[in-house]
Amino acid sequence: MSRDEIKDVLLEIIADIDEEADFASLDAGAPLRDQLDLDSMDFLDIVMELRKRYKLQIPEDEYPQLATLASCIDYLEPKLQNV
Amino acid sequence: MAAYQLLIIGGGLSGIAAGIRAARFGLKTLILEQHNLPGGLNSYYLRQGRLLETGLHAMTNFAPPGAKQAPLNRLFRQLRLSRKHLEVHEQIGSEIRFGGRSLYFTNDIAVLEEAIAREFPEAIDRFRLLRQTIAAYDPFAAVPWRSTRGFLAEHLRHPLLIDMLLLPLMIYGNAEEHDMDLGQFVIMFRAVFEEGFFRPGGTMRDFLDLLVRQFREFGGELRYRSPVAAVETDGDRVVGVRLENGEQLTAETVLSTAGMPETMRLAAWEGDRVQYAGRMSFMETISFVPRASMASLGPARTIIFYHRGPRLAYRRPDDFLDPSWGVICFPDNFSGLVPEESTQIRVTNAASYPLWKNLAAAAYGPAKERWSRAAIAASEEIIGNYHSSIVYQDSFTPVTIERFTRKAQGAVYGSGIKVRDGVTPWGNLFIAGTDQGYLGIVGAMLSGITIVNQHVLR
Ligand SMILES: Cc1cc2nc3c(=O)[nH]c(=O)nc-3n(C[C@H](O)[C@H](O)[C@H](O)COP(=O)(O)OP(=O)(O)OC[C@H]3O[C@@H](n4cnc5c(N)ncnc54)[C@H](O)[C@@H]3O)c2cc1C
Repeated sequence: MSRDEIKDVLLEIIADIDEEADFASLDAGAPLRDQLDLDSMDFLDIVMELRKRYKLQIPEDEYPQLATLASCIDYLEPKLQNV
Repeated sequence: MAAYQLLIIGGGLSGIAAGIRAARFGLKTLILEQHNLPGGLNSYYLRQGRLLETGLHAMTNFAPPGAKQAPLNRLFRQLRLSRKHLEVHEQIGSEIRFGGRSLYFTNDIAVLEEAIAREFPEAIDRFRLLRQTIAAYDPFAAVPWRSTRGFLAEHLRHPLLIDMLLLPLMIYGNAEEHDMDLGQFVIMFRAVFEEGFFRPGGTMRDFLDLLVRQFREFGGELRYRSPVAAVETDGDRVVGVRLENGEQLTAETVLSTAGMPETMRLAAWEGDRVQYAGRMSFMETISFVPRASMASLGPARTIIFYHRGPRLAYRRPDDFLDPSWGVICFPDNFSGLVPEESTQIRVTNAASYPLWKNLAAAAYGPAKERWSRAAIAASEEIIGNYHSSIVYQDSFTPVTIERFTRKAQGAVYGSGIKVRDGVTPWGNLFIAGTDQGYLGIVGAMLSGITIVNQHVLR
């Protein structure tokens, strides 16, 4: 998957979790949780959805690498390169 | 390979919510419910063409759709239900009545503040400070039990006001007698006074249908009339369950929402079951009266919490029923409901499980009749006469509650001892629901969600 495709997948997953999510002013370099007012339970859902779709196991100590949209893409790019 | 990844004992609100979480992420999940309907404590039954709800006076934790961090909206997101599909009806207004004193409140806490300023001007400043203290308190921190009565004595210094504020919070979410844990008080204060009461559109059946449909849409299986007879263990693991009809089902993980005493029985778990059997149970008396006769019963209220007597005795009564305090609920008095021809008045009072349990079969019916009359008479002291207009009446006791839900001693909220982390001596058996510790309809669902998130999905 390309970086753009990964970004689309992430936004789609977030939109599914939170029907009120507003991406218009999203800053890819700033923490997702603060910007979208998500909590740790929602955050877990992003991880779970990635696992369900791509059989990706993301260990808990790597969650910090998913903090921003940009860091999510960096983290997922090598893992999803053959998808 | 086990037949199921997750097997859930109990199709009450905690069990269904847990099931939705697991099924949503692709786990092969089965819910086993002994009864022929979902809902557990919060279900319904049909009598003479009428649908009677067993729980649901009101749901707590009202929040508008945009408030993302509100428990109700977090709950909906977790279950992947859209608030757009939930029709909500907020309470009109409720009242706490102790003798001649009254506190009126709505979902706008300013109304309660005004009532306190009017009725107890000497305490209003302390009440405002109390609200700030509560707002800053983290009720989920793992701290030892702390006395709410002690805390309020220090912060409000007003015995009558303390009892008045405690009554609704205890009735809707306290397993203990006399006092309650401070964390639980904070949770209930926010749920009832800061957030408030509402009802979903339709009946409890519609709400349960919505949840069950969601569970099935994600691929979950639900079996009714399937009482679990035993949780089968092998060393420090559970391997599955055996149903009462002898059928065996294997599972990678088992989640029990049947309560601690029942779970201990099922797993042949050594230990003191009695400590987990709560002492607070209730009798509920439901009357249908023609809409027209409501006019004489004073201004429309959603719920009235009443007490007559010197000090509030929140405890198992010495007699079959304690009509000196209780709840009078008008399920039709929520905003935006279309009036029906007949309307309900539901009265809930503390009742003594052992006295009801020990009645001979022939004496049970007459006792129910006698104590229903006592409950109605006590409520008439508060709202005025209605017994002569009753067109249909039914009631249920602690024994009914125990029979239909297997909650030991009919204790709606279980005992004061909770298994907060949901963990048992078996590495893959977990506890959710009432005995895990989150109470009420919203609480039970959050409990199921939290335990699945922590122990099953990770
Ligand atoms: C009269 C009354 C009024 C209430 N009013 C309100 C209210 O207005 N607002 C509010 O928020 N809350 C209210 N509640 C409380 C609320 O109903 C409960 O807190 C909540 O429903 C508990 O859900 P649960 O899933 O933990 O337990 P339960 O509902 O007890 O679910 C457990 C399920 O497990 C099943 N089960 C048990 N043993 C077995 C077995 N061996 N095999 C198979 N299945 C088994 C039971 O049949 C049951 O369905 C009320 C309760 C009552 C009784």
